[in-house]
Amino acid sequence: MLMDSSEIKQLLEKYWNCETSLAEEQQLKEYFRSNTVPESLKETSELFRYFETQKKESLTQDFDGEVMKQIAVERPKGKVVKMMFNVARIAAGLVVVVAATYFVRQEIRKSYPPEIADTYSDPKLAFEETKKALMMISKGFGKAQKEARKINLLNEAEQKVQGRDENKKESSTI
Amino acid sequence: MNLEAFQTRVIPAKNKLFRFAFRLLDSEEEAKDVVQEVFIKVWSGREQMGEVQNWEAWCMRITKNLSLDRIRSRQRRATDSMEDGFDVKNETLSPLETTEQGESMQRINQLIARLPEKQRQVIHLRDVEGYSYQEICEILELDMSQVKVSLFRARNSVKEKLVKINAYGL
Repeated sequence: MLMDSSEIKQLLEKYWNCETSLAEEQQLKEYFRSNTVPESLKETSELFRYFETQKKESLTQDFDGEVMKQIAVERPKGKVVKMMFNVARIAAGLVVVVAATYFVRQEIRKSYPPEIADTYSDPKLAFEETKKALMMISKGFGKAQKEARKINLLNEAEQKVQGRDENKKESSTI
Repeated sequence: MNLEAFQTRVIPAKNKLFRFAFRLLDSEEEAKDVVQEVFIKVWSGREQMGEVQNWEAWCMRITKNLSLDRIRSRQRRATDSMEDGFDVKNETLSPLETTEQGESMQRINQLIARLPEKQRQVIHLRDVEGYSYQEICEILELDMSQVKVSLFRARNSVKEKLVKINAYGL
């Protein structure tokens, strides 16, 4: 679309104030692409030509091939990979729980005295030792019984003495 | 997104991505590497990016971030080599680029290269690539007023300098 210089100047005024639309800026680019630009707009024309030149810079044709090659190397994260990742996460969690339980148990065992454990592997020897221990307890009981008998004798003697005293008191009162 | 969608919706943006990275990095090789990296990132993360509406703007945003990362690491390397006593190579236009572009083109290129980074990004996206203000906001992660102010400053700064050059040959 051909525009006269006054229209261009108005549009340029809007351009410098950043009030132009993309379509209006495109009109300006097209205008400056032509060779019939007045001398007064020489520097502006240079600027617009610079923008046009910049847009021509491009990558070489083999670039797409290079990118597609690189992309082919990149393995997509499929469902199997995701599943394996989830399984690994669960397994790691279980390992942590088991390890924690083990260490807590160890700590508890340390803080309590050890439980009574079997000391003899040979049952005959164990039987003999048990017999010895029971004999020792039995001896102790026998000794205690003797002492208890002595105490019994004393009790009986005390009761007899008390009985005589009571008889004396009764006879004196009569 | 399947391979076909990737080839029809993402790959065609390659030249825009390349130009944007090139403007930011001023190195053709690095810009090419960045674009490759962007495509690989988009492809490998396509499952997570299911809700992306504008793939081109999304890719441009990744391009910007990766390019800025490279600039930052380049600056770190430059600081390190300065500390070690080595001269830092100043990247300028190659002889080929100089002859390919006219003198005036080269002059404008230098004017734009001297603009602050944000202004440089905005003027490229609007005046070279023809993105809408909304798309520029998405790409640069800026609000509308920031984009418009940056564009206004960039355009007027270039205009003033061009007028000065043509009037006084400065």
